[in-house]
Amino acid sequence: MRWATRRGVHIDRAACAWLIRRFLDPDAQFVFVTDPAHTPPDATGFDMRGIDLSHHTGDDGTADCTFETILRRHDLTDPVLWKIAEIVHEADLDDERYDAPEAPGLDVVLRGLSMVCTDDQRVLELTGPLFDGLYEFHRRATLLGREPA
Amino acid sequence: MTGAGDIGVWVMLCYRLPREPSTPRITVWRKLKRLGVAQLADGLVALPADARTREQLEWIAQEIIDAGGDASIWLAQPSTSEQERTVAARMADARTEEYVAVTAEAHAAATAPARERRRTGERLRAELRRITRRDYFPPPQRDTAQAAVRALLDTDPAGHPADATEEVRP
Repeated sequence: MRWATRRGVHIDRAACAWLIRRFLDPDAQFVFVTDPAHTPPDATGFDMRGIDLSHHTGDDGTADCTFETILRRHDLTDPVLWKIAEIVHEADLDDERYDAPEAPGLDVVLRGLSMVCTDDQRVLELTGPLFDGLYEFHRRATLLGREPA
Repeated sequence: MTGAGDIGVWVMLCYRLPREPSTPRITVWRKLKRLGVAQLADGLVALPADARTREQLEWIAQEIIDAGGDASIWLAQPSTSEQERTVAARMADARTEEYVAVTAEAHAAATAPARERRRTGERLRAELRRITRRDYFPPPQRDTAQAAVRALLDTDPAGHPADATEEVRP
């Protein structure tokens, strides 16, 4: 399946691409567009204005980032994914809804990467293992009930 | 993002939200304040354009539309450098006020007991991080505030506890 998002991938889109490939569609192909209107007709868009798989604000004013929206839409209830969602949310929105001390660091890593790597496919190749690691870390932490070694 | 000459490119959000319900208006206003926008007119705010500021304003635009308002995002250049300096100076003044307040709080806590000093220091450090993130034209008061908060956390005697082995030393 083809998936489309905006060019110049940052934390939310990188995390979503990882999530899609690992949990929804192992054969996912990603295309990057400058304008949401240029989304190919056969592609599912994400993290773009005016579409469903994107940011959403609740009636109480709390916002979800796209990563959280995808988890909700696809009924992904894995607590480890929701832990990653908190980190991605804070790195992306920085609204202090969650306590995620990893977020400022991850934000800087991704912003720095986008300065030396302008090829979005390459950014996904590089960040994929990063999120694999983050998932494994928090999976073990959840099982142990403490920080894994 | 830089444009022609020395004048930068700005990202502008032009918006209108219904007066009622007031909750979305307040939420949007808080978010804009947190971003440190320059208010150019009623319903018109601006930030120096880069990937992050542009994206943040775009999400807020979407939020305004979802709440039943109108919003559009524009990239614009002030026509004169003087005009840009005026807006930048106003933004720097707003941050200066915040830094001065942090410095005053840090100085006030300097003589407090160690635990309270550390608590205040940690709170102010987080506050400084928030201010720095919306500070696009850092004024000199930023350094003063950072030094004041650092001093609060550095001079904490709890960091150098009386060691038991030292106490029994003859």
